[in-house]
Amino acid sequence: MPAAAATMVSSAGGLLAMLNESHPQLKYHALSNLISFVDQFWPEISTSVPIIESLYEDEEFGQQQRQLAALLVSKVFYYLGELNDSLSYALGAGPLFDVSEDSDYVHTLLSKAIDEYVSLRSKAAESSDEAAKVDSMLEAIVERMLDKCIMDEKYQQAMGIAIECRRLDKLEEAITRSDNVHGTLAYCINASHSFVYRREYRQDVLRLLVKVYGKLPSPDYLSICQCLMFLYEPEGVANILEKLLRSENKEDALYAFQIAFDLVENEHQAFLLNVRDCLSAPKSLPSESVQPGSSSPAHAQNENSTAPEDVQMTNGSSAIHEADPKEVMYAERLTKIKGILSGEASIQLTLQFLFSCNKSDLLILKTIKQSLEMRNSVCHSATIYANAIMHAGTTVDTFLRDNLDWLSRATNWAKFSATAGLGVIHRGHLQQGRSLMAPYLPQGGAGGGSPYSEGGALYALGLIHANHGEGIKQFLRDSLSGTNVEVIQHGACLGLGLAALGTADEDIYDDIKSVLYTDSAVAGEAAGIGMGLLMVGTATEKASEMLAYAHETQHEKIIRGLALGIALTVYGREEEADTLIEQMTRDQDPILRYGGMYALALAYRGTANNKAIRQLLHFAVSDVSDDVRRTAVLALGFVLYSEPEQTPRIVSLLSESYNPHVRYGAALAVGISCAGTGLSKAISLLEPLTSDVVDFVRQGALIAMAMVMVQINEACDSRVGTFRRQLEKIILDKHEDTMSKMGAILAAGILDAGGRNVTIRLLSKTKHDKVTAVVGLAVFSQFWYWYPLIYFVSLSFSTTAFMGLNYDLKVPKFELLSHAKPSLFEYPKPTTAPTTTSAVKLPTAVLSTSAKAKARAKKEAEQKANAEKSTGPESSSAAANTGKGKSSSEKDGEAMQVDNPPEKKSEPEPSFEMLTNPARVVPAQEKFIKFLEDSRYVPVKSAPSGFVLLGDLCPNEPEVLSLTDSPTSASSPAGGSAAGQQSSSSAMAVDDEPQPPQAFEYTS
Amino acid sequence: MDLKEVSQQFERFKAAFVKNDFDTCANLLSQLKVLLTKFRSLPPLFENTPNAVNELLLAREIYEHAVVLSVKIEDQDAFERDFFQLKPYYTDVGSRLPPSKQEYLILGLNLLRLLVQNRIAEFHTELELLSATALENPCIKHAVELEQSFMEGAYNRVLTARQTAPHETYVYFMDLLAKTVRDEIAGCSEKAYDYLSINDARQMLLFSSDQELLEYVKEEHPEWEVKNGSVIFQKAKESTPCKEIPSLQLINQTLSYARELERIV
Repeated sequence: MPAAAATMVSSAGGLLAMLNESHPQLKYHALSNLISFVDQFWPEISTSVPIIESLYEDEEFGQQQRQLAALLVSKVFYYLGELNDSLSYALGAGPLFDVSEDSDYVHTLLSKAIDEYVSLRSKAAESSDEAAKVDSMLEAIVERMLDKCIMDEKYQQAMGIAIECRRLDKLEEAITRSDNVHGTLAYCINASHSFVYRREYRQDVLRLLVKVYGKLPSPDYLSICQCLMFLYEPEGVANILEKLLRSENKEDALYAFQIAFDLVENEHQAFLLNVRDCLSAPKSLPSESVQPGSSSPAHAQNENSTAPEDVQMTNGSSAIHEADPKEVMYAERLTKIKGILSGEASIQLTLQFLFSCNKSDLLILKTIKQSLEMRNSVCHSATIYANAIMHAGTTVDTFLRDNLDWLSRATNWAKFSATAGLGVIHRGHLQQGRSLMAPYLPQGGAGGGSPYSEGGALYALGLIHANHGEGIKQFLRDSLSGTNVEVIQHGACLGLGLAALGTADEDIYDDIKSVLYTDSAVAGEAAGIGMGLLMVGTATEKASEMLAYAHETQHEKIIRGLALGIALTVYGREEEADTLIEQMTRDQDPILRYGGMYALALAYRGTANNKAIRQLLHFAVSDVSDDVRRTAVLALGFVLYSEPEQTPRIVSLLSESYNPHVRYGAALAVGISCAGTGLSKAISLLEPLTSDVVDFVRQGALIAMAMVMVQINEACDSRVGTFRRQLEKIILDKHEDTMSKMGAILAAGILDAGGRNVTIRLLSKTKHDKVTAVVGLAVFSQFWYWYPLIYFVSLSFSTTAFMGLNYDLKVPKFELLSHAKPSLFEYPKPTTAPTTTSAVKLPTAVLSTSAKAKARAKKEAEQKANAEKSTGPESSSAAANTGKGKSSSEKDGEAMQVDNPPEKKSEPEPSFEMLTNPARVVPAQEKFIKFLEDSRYVPVKSAPSGFVLLGDLCPNEPEVLSLTDSPTSASSPAGGSAAGQQSSSSAMAVDDEPQPPQAFEYTS
Repeated sequence: MDLKEVSQQFERFKAAFVKNDFDTCANLLSQLKVLLTKFRSLPPLFENTPNAVNELLLAREIYEHAVVLSVKIEDQDAFERDFFQLKPYYTDVGSRLPPSKQEYLILGLNLLRLLVQNRIAEFHTELELLSATALENPCIKHAVELEQSFMEGAYNRVLTARQTAPHETYVYFMDLLAKTVRDEIAGCSEKAYDYLSINDARQMLLFSSDQELLEYVKEEHPEWEVKNGSVIFQKAKESTPCKEIPSLQLINQTLSYARELERIV
């Protein structure tokens, strides 16, 4: 008997023979036995598949027997690796194919079935005719699978499959039945952004999500509004905002502000303006009969402008007018939210932050300046660019002021760039931008200044007002129409494009077009770009007009400008842009093909769309023009920026190409898509390229490396330090090529961009693309042909700060915890030994001690703050008085250092750090940020960076503000602004509204 | 009790079998097979039921009879079917059952069948599975010798072996074998000669009369032509000229390689 237990069949031959028996019962017996042995004997059975197939097709055979035969064949095909056949027979097996069975066979076939279903559904959806009929059996299997997922509470799987299969009904079911609706919704939004490639369908999904959100008892308005923005439905957002604003509850108003800030972060100017206009005006006073239903935007706006004044009046004497307090409150909130939506609030706060926390290292610039040869104008202007980038948005132009003589060597276009650089430095200085630039602007007909500085000034105005050009548009238009000088036209076109980014303003378009039709190479190029900027993402008809002119003109510069402009118009339109892309990429003219690459890059920006990647790779290796190949590779960076980890892998082969243009493109692609991530793989890929044999590849690699490493310090990745030393070496090396030297200088600028407080970020925190940033980088990459376009990189800078705001949109004292070693994320140390001392570490020391103190007693904190407030101006003025320039600040630093070192050196590095609002929070640090539980303020949403509204738990106590708005009259003289700024930032409490620097004149 | 029922049925089958009433036999056999599917001790399940050995023995005997029956009714397909169903009783459970007297006879028959069907590869596979003692058995030996003669081309020995057949059932296959041999010769002569005189062809193909030869040609090789007292084998199909060098295709390929090389990044 024990021997018998081991008896096993050695062959399926007997059973297979039995299949040929004439008696149906014998066949059935054979089939059912074969099914149980198929795992073992499939090689034997596979030779008899035709017999089993014929059994399946035998009409006289019983239904169940036939299904059994189908299942058997399906299993054999599965083992043979013929999944398609296997699936079709499994479908024939009907109910015998058990979805819930836990076997490799079932798992494989299920995924195959789902894939098949997905491809059929999407094909059906794309061809839009119902001809593509989906097999009902297949549908049944997938539905069974979906139901099973929902039953087993595997909602994420169910949602994933439902989205892929375009079964919105099932998606809704999965979401509503899940236990954590908010969580699943958030997951779903993420999924739809990262995995749904077709734009239209994505919008369908989002619409459904909004619907589901709307049905919830406590809707998550933040997410709804994000969805609505993707759908471009300003009315919906406006309705929600209005509802929140009209609420009695202060929390709701804070919430509305938060929504507004989040929307602003995505930089969708046209949409924001629309939302603003859709917000209805307050019914100012019940007694005064304002025309009811004033819904027309123009009208609404008029009223808004008067509303605040009304409110103030009624506030003062409410008894007289008997104003409805609700309306008063609404009106007050409305002005605030409009301020936010217009971007002014965030821009102003950012500006203050960048100014007060500026940590740029002038010594680096000084070294660069000294090491350069006198006559090399390329490096000279590169230094000016680097300075502008380093101080982008900080309003600190000390370096320029200190080196007026040196600066005056810039002539012609270099002068244009030097002037435009001021625009970068003062970026966002909306109120005083115009007066700042006044000395250089064209003086109505007088024609005193050089056209180069005038043109540069107009470009600078555009940079200052980039994407928020409401106030400056008209002036720029007037300047454009008032001149015939092509240099000024050039500047004005760029400026207008920047200021009116994406607004699709017809009048401006016509103005620029008339410049284009003068067929002047210099002005025409800028006009082409300007038109594109104006029409960003509108997929306008005008593209064909531009294309026609591009064919007509003889000037390469104009064609190039237009090509880029056309590419800009299809920004983010994905499939919609395909015809245009096709048209451009098939063109005879390499410049237009090159524009086609940009069109691909921008239309599919951040989608990681496989089709686009495939197309780009194809052009990267097959086009005859080096320019097109370079651009194609570079464009990969734009398509992939949402998945930076992928880029190094995809371009790694290209980076070893024999063609230097392709290598250059690969370097920049990595730089663009991995910007600000400090991704280790990206750095490894770029490292060898920084010592390439070809000079321009070195240039590209250095710039790309700087983009990747921006805001990463040596403690995070030691290679950052190596890279900094490498840059220094290249700059100091007399025999280095000009090209790579220029790259190194620019890289040094980008590495410390914006006073070391900004990073390059192409995605907002909600994973939406930042239009301005992407467009900025795209135009920046044109610097290959035209250096002044380097300044566009400043559009992609985003401040890395946590800014908590109270109900009045002021920055109160508030602390948060960074649960990581401070050294990991601190500012890089200043370059030379004497300055290393305390300037950097001092703030942390003050912070940690004061933090403990504050945790103990709030009142003490207030006193301390007051003390700081009072000492702040003193120290700044004292510092200002001691002298000007570097030496004084060094002394200052040393003097301050005396207090701290003993205690600092003795204690080991703490594992956490207290940050004070507003705080610098670099991207890598975000995951370590925690809010303190017992704080006075509670954030509306727990975001680790960006603008966060804070709810006040003790509204009656006086608040202590960090960044004060009111500009103080006692300002330090411009010459000593560096010193003053340093000391005030170390105090971290008070600072002054940046003063308009005095004009300086070129002495050319 | 199932077992009893089956054995009774089997007795009836044997009675009919002895009477050479093959129609009844076939009917009964079919019923028997269906009944056998009820037994869980039989292949492929081999469950250890209390009656396992008896059931296996019975089933083996039924299938042995089935094989012999198929030879008698000259049905090669049925032979193959039944033989494969019988085989597990010899291979898988052979150790548990007393050896069957019929075993070598049936194995020999199977070998012969494979030889007749000219499935030489399978013939050798089967042969490899047999033990040394089995090879000594006259039934098996007979088949092996036949195969050797067949391979050597000693067709006359194959034909004379009919007389030395170890069992009456072998005769059927021996007859078939003669035809296989003839086909083999026909295939060779087709290759070897352009034409043969009818006389030579008759001798070659071992026919006793011209009539038989002509009939054979008509049935089996309609492509052969009989005229002017000779059989002409169609060789036109082989005379296709040596293929041209696909120069154009090669040139295209080479050019495209060159282009691809250009593109290598």
